[in-house]
Amino acid sequence: MVVEAGRRSSPQSADALATLCEIYWFPLYAYVRRQGQSTDDAQDLTQAFFAHLLDKQTLRVADRERGHFRSFLLTSLKHFLAKQWRRDAAQKRGGGRAPIALDFDDGETRYRIAPSHESTPEKLFERQWALTLLARALATLHREFEASGKAARFVSLKMYLGGEKSRVPYRELAGQLDTSEGAVKVAIHRMRRRYRAILRDEIRHTVDAAEDVDDELRRLFDALTP
Amino acid sequence: MMTSPHTCPQCGTELPADAPDGVCPTCLVQQGFDSHTAAANLASGTTGLASGPGFVAPSPDELSGRFPQFDIIELVGQGGMGAVYKARQPTLDRVVALKILPPEVGHDPAFAERFKREARALAMLSHPSIVTVYDSGETDGLYYFAMEFVDGTNLRQTIVQGGLTPPEALAIVPQICDALQAAHDEGVVHRDIKPENVLIDKRGRVKITDFGLAKLLGTDTDDTAIGKPFTLTDTRQVMGTAHYMAPEQIQSSSGVDHRADIYSLGVVFYEMLTGELPIGRFEPPSSKVRIDVRLDDVVLRSLASAPDRRYQHASDVKTEVETILNDDPEHRPPVPNTPNLRPSARDRLKAPAVGLVVASAVDVVATLGILLFSLRISAVASDALTIRTLIFNAVGVASLTHGIVLALGAAKMFRLRSYPIAVGASVVAILPFGPGAAISLPFGIWALIVLLTGETRAAFAAGSGRDIS
Repeated sequence: MVVEAGRRSSPQSADALATLCEIYWFPLYAYVRRQGQSTDDAQDLTQAFFAHLLDKQTLRVADRERGHFRSFLLTSLKHFLAKQWRRDAAQKRGGGRAPIALDFDDGETRYRIAPSHESTPEKLFERQWALTLLARALATLHREFEASGKAARFVSLKMYLGGEKSRVPYRELAGQLDTSEGAVKVAIHRMRRRYRAILRDEIRHTVDAAEDVDDELRRLFDALTP
Repeated sequence: MMTSPHTCPQCGTELPADAPDGVCPTCLVQQGFDSHTAAANLASGTTGLASGPGFVAPSPDELSGRFPQFDIIELVGQGGMGAVYKARQPTLDRVVALKILPPEVGHDPAFAERFKREARALAMLSHPSIVTVYDSGETDGLYYFAMEFVDGTNLRQTIVQGGLTPPEALAIVPQICDALQAAHDEGVVHRDIKPENVLIDKRGRVKITDFGLAKLLGTDTDDTAIGKPFTLTDTRQVMGTAHYMAPEQIQSSSGVDHRADIYSLGVVFYEMLTGELPIGRFEPPSSKVRIDVRLDDVVLRSLASAPDRRYQHASDVKTEVETILNDDPEHRPPVPNTPNLRPSARDRLKAPAVGLVVASAVDVVATLGILLFSLRISAVASDALTIRTLIFNAVGVASLTHGIVLALGAAKMFRLRSYPIAVGASVVAILPFGPGAAISLPFGIWALIVLLTGETRAAFAAGSGRDIS
């Protein structure tokens, strides 16, 4: 998708960019907020930033070498903020028409939930990026379970996604789901495998090459470790 | 195992309020790694002094009941894969490091056999730079090693606490090489060389610990069937280890040989010299610190992504380092402010590559001229000239191809990628296939001379490897 977004103003590229922005706007918003902007200003600035990005097709100049969409967005945002786009400018460019739908109320709630100990806006951004990505992968997985009529199963099993250990032993879980312990293990194994595929696919959209996925995973891990 | 509602039952860290779906985000990221093998290898983070929660180590008191043969003195370190205690063995009046593995390892029925086998191999290792394993076994389902106690620090702490000077780093590397070579001679691959596993005693002697533990604790061996629940991978903690792993080891741990250790050694070497990890498009060490530029070759060759391009023996690394040091009687650093006495491979390739670009441009322009001319004469005259037109077209195509190949080769040289293409293009540059050849001939020769040096080859090898960001 990054590659698509970088192509010269084809309709797909605008769509791809808008899609990526809709997914990853919150980390940017959190970054702007942590920079000390008020809620209103941060909303305008974020929206204006996206307008700027979509208008200018800035993605086109994304340095392919860098590969990571994440760092590209943050760098662009920093440049954008450095130009000191004031609120009225924001109104002029982005305020009139919202290029993409961003749920700022939700954003502000999430911002308040986010631990405040992260020292820098960058660290906050990266952490939020990682969380957004994970939440998205989980949501996709959830949808898939729902689609096959297993929504309840997802809820019971999701706590095992992170790994083997959990507060509920397999046996107990098997009792709850009225199945055997072996079947529970198999189900968990399959769910994890599917989750892994989804997550990697999600990351693949934000990096240039498939080989970069592991590297990005490592960076995400670093971002999540205090 | 402690599981309060606010900690992740998996890794023991505190669950953040914004954890997606209430699942621990770090564990979720770890699940993303392609194979569990890789993830398990990432994890083997127990070293004497590794950090990280996850495995709740028993207190010395709890432990002393199980180990009547030792007086447990104190817990000195713990990680996801075990805990290390300082203990005294009264019968021999010696201090030992007692390492216990997480109790979960015992859940795998195949583990006992594997443990026995590996422990036997480890006990065979006897080298001044390898932490000696005195004893190993299982008591009450708890697997343990009793090892030589190293009173000192580890390389990680040394790097963190202000780092090492290049001469200090260069004194450590040969000792690591010795230890690795001795183990490799016995057929033991460490698989987890990283600063945490390089201990340094109070006299500055290097001792490598945790040989083979990664393999023992990983699920990489054939003993573990795919699809079985993973006992150990899930205790994984120290993702940072991934940075030290050879590319082939990240891919799959089966078939990994001693050259994976040489790669990890390269990472440690680079980190000791520069304080940074060689991630992405990293610069050669000499552009960051004042060292003999020939050391760049040693580091880069150790870091080659293809095992065949690395040093084939740890002892070769030592020999090269020592040759460079001896050559350079006082390890004399270059004059201040001129960090590089010799330009890097990239810099030395720049001039010939620019020459090739110019020749390529001449080719393209000439091609256009020829084709235009050919079009004109074919418009003016008719069939009598067909042969001439054909010749013109053939010359045009040859010239254009020549130009394109030169441009491609130059691009590869600038980026230090695709060594065969760079060499091939240099050869084409020498061939008289286009008007640009008049210019490309000398530059092609120049490029070949630079390309054929070992240093440049190593730079290409490193360049095509982990270049990611």
